[in-house]
Amino acid sequence: MEHGSIERDIHVDASPEVVFEVVSRPEHIREWWSDDARFEPVAGAPGELMWCDAETGETMTAALAVVEVDPPKRFSFRWCFTGADRSGPALLVTFDLAPAGAGTRIRMTETGFREMGWEIAALEEQYRDHESGWDHYIPALGAYVARPVLTA
Amino acid sequence: MSTAVDDDLWSAIGDPVRRTMIDLLLAGGPGTATSLSERLPVTRQAVSKHLAVLDRVGLVHSAPAGRERHYQVDQAQLARAVAQLSAVGTAWDARLRRIKRIAEAIERDRNNDQGE
Repeated sequence: MEHGSIERDIHVDASPEVVFEVVSRPEHIREWWSDDARFEPVAGAPGELMWCDAETGETMTAALAVVEVDPPKRFSFRWCFTGADRSGPALLVTFDLAPAGAGTRIRMTETGFREMGWEIAALEEQYRDHESGWDHYIPALGAYVARPVLTA
Repeated sequence: MSTAVDDDLWSAIGDPVRRTMIDLLLAGGPGTATSLSERLPVTRQAVSKHLAVLDRVGLVHSAPAGRERHYQVDQAQLARAVAQLSAVGTAWDARLRRIKRIAEAIERDRNNDQGE
């Protein structure tokens, strides 16, 4: 098991061409992820994802860089750069599309957690080994989980 | 969105020696730099530096114990770190469900247009 990545598969009843547009075009990314997205879907192009906090009016911007644009098979980009101006270790998100029946299978992988020091599975395993501690602190977690650590 | 994950927390936990130290403290209860260094292939001075990093991000707390300090894991902070990471996966599940819904709506629209 690769500890440094997240993998997800999902079947979509739409052609790979349609799915490719949805995962790779800023106007669609605004619908499924950020409040705004700006980039040219061209390999190497820099771009931004933006989120607005409705309560404070603050805007948060995340830099991204397009890595690969291969319609209708693969779209990938880097984001969460640790250095300034899109430098240093970053997360790599890849959408691999494959025809499946009349539709498309999307495989999404997000890698780079290890390089960034985020060893998800290792941490989770560690935690499972200490289930008493986990049970004990679930109530305490409530306050943290209630905080919008991640907005989808 | 995952840039909201606390970077300092993650670089603190990203180091394998520090993770082993957390594991030792979870399994064996509070420890000192000396007791930890006896079970790790690093010097007491190095252990002290790692403990300082963990202390700074709130993953361990310390109390004086004679000439040393006793360190223990802050389980709430560790749980918070784990929760943030499982939230990354959950966030992707939600995004992919939206991608599916949008793509299938576009596909249906196109098929309807062709049928008319």
